[in-house]
Amino acid sequence: MSKSTEILDKQIAALHVTARSSSAYEQKQMKVVGKGAQRLDAVGKATGETKYGQDLFSKKFLFAKALRAAHPHAEILSIDPREAKKVPGVITVLTHKDVSGTNLHGLIRRDQEVLCSHKVRYLGDAIAIVVATDEEIAGAALRKIKVDYKPLPALFTMEDALKPDAPKIHAEGNVLGEKHLRKGDAPTAMAEADVIVEDVIQTQSVDHAFLDLEAGRARWDGKMLTIEVSGQWLHEERRLIALALGLPLEKLRIIQPATGGAFGGREDISIQIYLGLCALKLKAKTICMRYSRAESMMVRHKRHPIRVHYKLGAKKDGTLVAAQVTFYVDKGAYASTGIAVMRKASSHATGPYKVPNVWVDVIGVFTNNNPCGAMRGFGAAQTAIAYEGLMDRLAVKLGMDKAELRMKNLVKSGDEVTTGQVVPYATAVECFDAVLTRIDWKNRSYATPAPHLKRGYGVSIVCFGLGYGDGFPDASRARCRLTEDGIVELYSSGVDVGQGLINMVSQIAAEEIGVPLEKVRPILADTQLTPESGSTSATRQTYFTGSAVQLAAAELKKQLQDIAAAHLKELVYEIQIENGEAYNAVRPAKRMTLKELAREGKRRGFSLEATSVFKPPTMPEDTRTGQSMRAFVTYLFGSHACQLLVDTETGEVKIERYIACHDVGRAINPDQVIGQIQGGVTMGIGMALMEEVVLKDGRILNPGFTDYILPTIRDVPEIECIVLENPDPGGPFGARGVGEPPLIGTGPAILSAIYDAIGTPVRELPATPERIWRAMAS
Amino acid sequence: MWPLKFKLNGKRMSRKVKPTQTLLDFLRLEMDLTGTKGACEEGECGSCYVLVDGKPMNSCMMLAPQVQDREVVTIEGLAKGRKLDVIQRKFIECGAVQCGYCTPGLIMAAKALLAENPHPTREEFLVGIEGNICRCTGYNKIMRACESAADEMGLKK
Repeated sequence: MSKSTEILDKQIAALHVTARSSSAYEQKQMKVVGKGAQRLDAVGKATGETKYGQDLFSKKFLFAKALRAAHPHAEILSIDPREAKKVPGVITVLTHKDVSGTNLHGLIRRDQEVLCSHKVRYLGDAIAIVVATDEEIAGAALRKIKVDYKPLPALFTMEDALKPDAPKIHAEGNVLGEKHLRKGDAPTAMAEADVIVEDVIQTQSVDHAFLDLEAGRARWDGKMLTIEVSGQWLHEERRLIALALGLPLEKLRIIQPATGGAFGGREDISIQIYLGLCALKLKAKTICMRYSRAESMMVRHKRHPIRVHYKLGAKKDGTLVAAQVTFYVDKGAYASTGIAVMRKASSHATGPYKVPNVWVDVIGVFTNNNPCGAMRGFGAAQTAIAYEGLMDRLAVKLGMDKAELRMKNLVKSGDEVTTGQVVPYATAVECFDAVLTRIDWKNRSYATPAPHLKRGYGVSIVCFGLGYGDGFPDASRARCRLTEDGIVELYSSGVDVGQGLINMVSQIAAEEIGVPLEKVRPILADTQLTPESGSTSATRQTYFTGSAVQLAAAELKKQLQDIAAAHLKELVYEIQIENGEAYNAVRPAKRMTLKELAREGKRRGFSLEATSVFKPPTMPEDTRTGQSMRAFVTYLFGSHACQLLVDTETGEVKIERYIACHDVGRAINPDQVIGQIQGGVTMGIGMALMEEVVLKDGRILNPGFTDYILPTIRDVPEIECIVLENPDPGGPFGARGVGEPPLIGTGPAILSAIYDAIGTPVRELPATPERIWRAMAS
Repeated sequence: MWPLKFKLNGKRMSRKVKPTQTLLDFLRLEMDLTGTKGACEEGECGSCYVLVDGKPMNSCMMLAPQVQDREVVTIEGLAKGRKLDVIQRKFIECGAVQCGYCTPGLIMAAKALLAENPHPTREEFLVGIEGNICRCTGYNKIMRACESAADEMGLKK
């Protein structure tokens, strides 16, 4: 047996050791939930049969390409497409004049034009679309479009954008918004603190770098506009496109092809809206569009670079008393989801630590850089790097062990987090304890193979609010029906972007009804067929859509029990459904199969169908204090530990050991939970050590994988996963979620270990060999 | 147009191709073999690997005429009917498939590696698949799938 096999087997064995179920769940032996069932879509993906957006193309179709802005900030004086229209093979050239609706989109604020009419704000802004018989012709025709600009002074730094005389990027000015949090009396408490540490930390612009580039097709048949492009929230995309293009909602259908990763990068509208526009103008033609890697990177939003000014005060014994934090958030050119990201930074400002007095200001600043929006971690990832960095500096100043300092201040069940929300069941301590035990914290060794190598150990703890929160409507819906051939069809608009939603919903439905997994047929992500299930984001799909599926499945099961009771002449509450058969446990010989239930149900006139909605409320955070009794539906906890070597001659880092513990409530599919943890940690390694979108004058200097460096198999150690299962009362079978926390924990753990190794903190991300070397030299 | 003759997944082919078309686009648009994926388009991520005379090649970096008189195997050429190749099966069993976009390229890389080197050490495995980028899995399960395939093929010690 190979080493990796051994480690993985140990991890899976560890699941059972560490799994703790509440008595309510222990009463029932799970048959499908909790099992590492093979991915339902894996065979198609491994054989190449699965169709992603770009796989829907045909030579027979038309191809569209977009003309981008020539300046990062300019007025458009005129657009002349006449020459482009004359190019042989060009079908049409479209500009803002061809857009019938509002011509505006944007997830929270509609501030971005589909095709710019009078102003461009970054180099990814689109001005015109060419549709031609092939891509090459479309590309050649783009160069024939004549656009006259009046260039405006462009703003590439927040300092420049905040100057009083700075040109306004948007009519209302360059401040997107401010978010404030006031808890207790931070200034007084800080003044009375025994020890204060203070620092400024700068995070970087990060690209999602999903492999499956934006691509898809659209067609308008005169009655229905059908768009097949991968997104993260089909129904919101349908709303935005319908409004922007002036089309009634019921005439727009969005179908999700297979999706090769998303990570927040498919939340903002991309090519869907251009494809829709082109198709509406060219009835009965199929239009295709795809971005190159360079265009994808140039146009798409990024993770917000955030500059965090953090001041942390404590008593001599290490008890935290106050935090004063200011976040300057580079919004780039458009709002995107920025307001929500800023709010997440604020509400997670002290992470898993109890701090009675907190003062937070978050300022979002427009610049002429790429818009910044959603990416895995969503403001909480940058924040964790700051609060954990400050905990390390505090430990050094106090002369205290950094694990001991953290343990002392962790929130426990019944404590308040940053928003004032009381967390009834906090497992930060359990998670932290698990990683400290695994890495044998007390006996860590600093002996290295060579004098120029220094070893360091880092830790981090995550406390993460799940779902949208803040009173924003957050709902998932599901529909279950039993078909005549005895299959449970399951409908949801939740999108599987690779994380494994297809198994999550199917395993929950199978478990709830009592059928084998192969009797469930998931039908996902088609606005014409499937009910709205919110976005695949905010680590919410397992909790929200999983719950909706469980509710619909439970209702369908009741109908099946009614039918079985009537047919078998038994009492309904004695009917069990197990392995796809209904029977009374006392008289198990009399049974009905799913097919028989379907036939009998039909004969008796039942639809054998159930729908559900899961919509737990949250409460808005107070605009002045940022406090809310229920800012989020629930919180997730996790903890990481990292052991690494820094080469003091080159600044290079080698991660020797990585341990990640996450309390997922219930692992619906443990294999996929481990996949999410290992994948999240790897993306976190990228953010911590190598990934950075380098911008100069609004232009990306590294728009491709040659210069935008992503982790390869060489950069990733064995990631030892510890999965805790403390059930959440609101989640399906107690499940919480796992999408984002593994990424959030990684950056801070690695930076903590580098600081431990070299004795000076790296304040700017990513911690490249050069930055580490400079930190050592300073 | 270039008169291209080559062998594709075991069958002799003869096609007129645009000399500037990449092998990747040719396979996907002209031959309708969409299992081979394009992702970085500059030879950095291995998503578009196909075997050319048994060697893994970035099909985004080759022009179609370059496979003149050579043998090309794509992901579609691995399974025998419904019977999956052992590497495909191990990727599925080990949970090495998430979004699946890197999967065909990785499977082709592993296929080439194990065909050439029946007894790869861990370092040799790394050399064989370090040219492939996966954004979802964190690689641990990919390594496990490769090693497990080698074990099952009875090739490893």
